Amino acid sequence: MVPTEIVALARIIGELDYYQLLHLRRNAVAGEVKKAYHATSRAFHPDSNRHLDPELREAVATISKRVSEAYSVLRDPRRRQAYDRRLETNQGLRMQLAEAQAEAGRQASEERGGRTPQGRQFYRLAQSDLQRNDYGAAVRNLQTALTFEPGNTLFKEQLARAKQGLR
Amino acid sequence: MAEIAVGIDLGTSNSCVAVARRGKLEVLKNAYGESTIASVVNLAADGSITVGNAAKANVIHDPHNTIYSAKRLIGRYFFSEEVKKAQAICSYQIVEGENHSVRIKVREEAFSLPEVGAMVLRELKSIAEARLGSPVSKAVVTVPAYFNDNQRQATKDAARIAGLEVLRILNEPTAAALAYGFGKGLNQRVAVYDLGGGTFDISILEIGSDVFEVLATSGDTFLGGDDFDDRVIDLLADEFASKHDINLRNDPYALEKLKLAAETAKKGLSVDDESRIRIPDIAQTADGRSLSIERSLGKEEFGALVMDLIQRTFKVCDEALQQAGLIARDVDGVILVGGPTRLGIIREAVTEYFQQEPQANVDPDQVVAVGAAIHASSLTSSGGEAFLLDVTPLSLQIGVAGGLTEKIIERNTPVPIEQTRTFTTFKDHQDSVSIRVYQGESRESAENELLGQFEFIGFEKGRRGEVEIDVTFEIDTDGIVNVTARDRSTGEEASTRITLSSGLSDTELRSIIGKHESTSGAQPSGRAAADVGEDDLHADDDIVPLRRSAAATRAAAEEAIPELETDDFEPGDEPDITGPIFGAGADAPETNVDGIETAVDLDGESDPDEPLEFVSPASSDLDADLPPEVDLDDDMAIEPDLRAARSGSSELGALEADMLDELSEKATPDGADGDTLFEAPGADLSSEDPEGT
Repeated sequence: MVPTEIVALARIIGELDYYQLLHLRRNAVAGEVKKAYHATSRAFHPDSNRHLDPELREAVATISKRVSEAYSVLRDPRRRQAYDRRLETNQGLRMQLAEAQAEAGRQASEERGGRTPQGRQFYRLAQSDLQRNDYGAAVRNLQTALTFEPGNTLFKEQLARAKQGLR
Repeated sequence: MAEIAVGIDLGTSNSCVAVARRGKLEVLKNAYGESTIASVVNLAADGSITVGNAAKANVIHDPHNTIYSAKRLIGRYFFSEEVKKAQAICSYQIVEGENHSVRIKVREEAFSLPEVGAMVLRELKSIAEARLGSPVSKAVVTVPAYFNDNQRQATKDAARIAGLEVLRILNEPTAAALAYGFGKGLNQRVAVYDLGGGTFDISILEIGSDVFEVLATSGDTFLGGDDFDDRVIDLLADEFASKHDINLRNDPYALEKLKLAAETAKKGLSVDDESRIRIPDIAQTADGRSLSIERSLGKEEFGALVMDLIQRTFKVCDEALQQAGLIARDVDGVILVGGPTRLGIIREAVTEYFQQEPQANVDPDQVVAVGAAIHASSLTSSGGEAFLLDVTPLSLQIGVAGGLTEKIIERNTPVPIEQTRTFTTFKDHQDSVSIRVYQGESRESAENELLGQFEFIGFEKGRRGEVEIDVTFEIDTDGIVNVTARDRSTGEEASTRITLSSGLSDTELRSIIGKHESTSGAQPSGRAAADVGEDDLHADDDIVPLRRSAAATRAAAEEAIPELETDDFEPGDEPDITGPIFGAGADAPETNVDGIETAVDLDGESDPDEPLEFVSPASSDLDADLPPEVDLDDDMAIEPDLRAARSGSSELGALEADMLDELSEKATPDGADGDTLFEAPGADLSSEDPEGT
């Protein structure tokens, strides 16, 4: 890649989504994602660009780090799903990895709506509490739900919401 | 002709240097024709330093002045388990340096671990120079894949002290895979089972025609061939104790003899089914009678001694395979690395685990150095023949309330990588935030390795929650962590780049390098060793590598006291990201220990009654006092004028526009919605360009 292109890409990188960065279509399959990661890395990996002058190397490093990030999200089906949702709702072009992880986890527990019958029951109660703006009751019910499913990110998130309502 | 760069395998027990030049790979032998040298250093009374197999021969008659297995101590804190263990079994003196660092004291001189490593590296450098007939100043140096940032940084420092420019810190299994697959046009998934003298690594890689991608890596830096030896030593010492009522472990000379005998017996089992152990004159009875050890050690008996250690390696393999999303059968090839893998018992166990014979044509002692040499050569030539995509072996975490941590970058994420989190202040007019950075997999901060703590100051003060500080965590291609903080509101150069590491600071390094080879009396202090001593928190700890103005410090002193009075926090509720702050400077007020402010992760719950938990930032509702929404994706909100301003020249601006056009076309799914993200980017960019076109 010629230097001007590298600099230009580094500058616009904030405006590219991960698919654009890796030159992928939205419906690319896993093998294509990997291939694109290899090809893009080859072009921008610091190893392939050691001979460039410092300014360009910095630009290359910026791109390379974003390429790793894009691959980390797109190679994982759940993270990718969360990211696609973000794009569809225009909530941003980047997704921090921890965020993608949490989002994927949240989605998973939402799909289940709770793993235990008791968890589901108290979660449903809390939902109707929230609809009535009865935050105190919602907090209690969600806390109870969490005693059955301490790791449920959906419950935790709802609890945070209910607590905010209390203030 | 380009300068020659070598590949160096700096091992726990043995080290090796290799070079790739004119299309030929060569392991460089020393004057005695040895292709690997013992990673052992002997310091003689006259100040001379012997390195290698000759030094190893000194272990028995000069145990106090002979340093071996130093790699087990590099980049560790003095209070760590590994250091305690080494103190119990090593005949040289291990003492505490500044900031909980480790020093080895020989002949009244305390050496830092990087200095000891440098002695071995210097030897390898001179072997290479003698063989190649030209100066060597560049190298790729390998480390166990599971080494953390502190260990990598310390290794890099060792190379710099030895006068080597480190082209890359390369993971040993990755290097081995490179040596195995380079230029063969393979298309395989391989497992590299690397059992060294002191560490175990497993890496799962995908080898394509020109790319080596690490899918997952895992390891145990407390497990290696040395542990096998220790089992044999224990057996011999226990038998001797019950027979003669003499504890050989109390006698350094006897202990070294035991150690050598155990190692020899183990190595013998790589060839034969039985080893003879004979140690004449190992001790004396009270009445002066000489006692000896004489017994044989069979394959089976040895197997029983170490089977649990071998099983431990397979637990680690399970983990790596799971992380790679594979099962053992998916692996096309198994590469064995490290001296202990010559043992029949290990080869058999590995064959059973992976259901295939390991690759036979790989020399487990040299393959890592050869791989490093291949990489060194490709880094110094302009065309990259094969290139490596590696991962970070450990999750990068920050400390949060309740002694817990929160992951920023998961393990096995490809590097280089960068992630940004936004923090805010916890109290009105708070003038510093403190962030602790860890590596490890546990949610408990105490179970992770502390890389360091840093303080961010000098931002514009404001009401609690109003200040926004972006903290960027970066892992580079060497696996080394960098942390940068930036005040978002001013956006200016309030950023401070620090390397979190217990290695040596640049100044200290320079002073060591500046001195002559033996850095007599040099007591380099740790860099950001922080308050890792848990209960050893002094305001005068020289902890924080941040520089700040005297004015800022005074302001901190003024702020600290009144806030203390209004502090409604129970000490027990203090989030983990608090701690002692500033260094010993005259400006550093005592009150800082308690007056330290807290950083609140905006993504988390800031209610002190609740343990801080991770809440997805995308969905978390923030405290009303906090800014309405701190979007981590700050890059998305680029103002058009800013965007245009960044286009230095109109030519570039147009090029960017073209790229955007092209990319948005490409990425638009067949007639679907993707285009909304790029509304006429070309027009946008050019019309907003302040410099006009």
